Amino acid sequence: MNTPTDRDLLLRARRGETEAYGELVTRYQTGVFNVCYRILHNRSDAEDLAQETFIRAYDRLYTFDLEREFSPWIRRVAANLCLNYLEAQKPVAELDEDRDEDKTQSPGEQVEVKERSEQIRTALASLPPHYRVVVELRHYQDLSYDEIANELEIPLSDVKSHLFRARKLLAEKLHAPD
Amino acid sequence: MHLTDEQLNEYLDNETAERAVIEAHLASCGECAARLFTLQALFADLGSLPEVNLSTDLAARFTPSRSLTPQLPRWLTLTATLQAAAALLLATLAAPFAAQMLEPYSSMYTMPSPADILTELQFNFFTWTRSFGSISLPEFPPNPFALPAEITPAILAVGMTSMLLAWAFSNWWLLHKKSNRLA
Repeated sequence: MNTPTDRDLLLRARRGETEAYGELVTRYQTGVFNVCYRILHNRSDAEDLAQETFIRAYDRLYTFDLEREFSPWIRRVAANLCLNYLEAQKPVAELDEDRDEDKTQSPGEQVEVKERSEQIRTALASLPPHYRVVVELRHYQDLSYDEIANELEIPLSDVKSHLFRARKLLAEKLHAPD
Repeated sequence: MHLTDEQLNEYLDNETAERAVIEAHLASCGECAARLFTLQALFADLGSLPEVNLSTDLAARFTPSRSLTPQLPRWLTLTATLQAAAALLLATLAAPFAAQMLEPYSSMYTMPSPADILTELQFNFFTWTRSFGSISLPEFPPNPFALPAEITPAILAVGMTSMLLAWAFSNWWLLHKKSNRLA
């Protein structure tokens, strides 16, 4: 049996078939969760925001252009939601302890990867909200400067300054001599 | 003269039209090449961040219970449709033969007209409600919440209508809640 395309599922979801939308959620929930997790650095908040992303997207399905890809769109919705959430929450969220476990690696490698991932996530978490979202959109969602400016509704010059400053800060934290 | 941070960032992001100029400079300037290397290492670090698995299934919220709205397999739906079509065809083909076979018995029994059937149903309904109306409840001590001593057809009609409406509303509410998990 042929697997339905995203477009088929979206059309069915628009007709009110929640199962079809559930199938889309199954396909993209990990990606969306990771967008939230990279920005928020808290598993519980990231899961809540990922859920919220799919609910918001469902409510706005009729505005979605079926000629576009669903995955990049839902990931951008998630990034925007996380930015709004961070701006509303002034204090820095608690960081998670258990994360970045790769079952395919040996215990020694796992510890090493986990430690490095932890350093990267901690460095990302220390950035101001706007910087984090710009890094997310550029590095993990592959958007151009213009697309980021359009998505966040900020000037192109702000995109560049946020991104370049974010990278400078990250490089200082991650590549500083011990 | 060294390259600016902006030039290096735009070069790595493929957002510059000066690629050839930048590359020519990098080939001859160790300091700028080292800065580019640091930036590339950062890109590699960010790219190495592993994906993390979810601890819950977010799709569950969007999937109605299978037992409530069972989806029939396609083959079963097709079979049922074909069976219905075959039955309809056979009934149409058999009708003239059945009429011919029943012809000798038609004089023994006359079919009532729709008007006769309606009159009969109406008569039965009124007889039934009248017999209910004659039911008397046992005497209760007087209290403000006492039921009426006699069930009149009007009370019966109101009661039955209320029950019908309550049944319809509760079913609608249950199905609406189950089928629309987003509400």
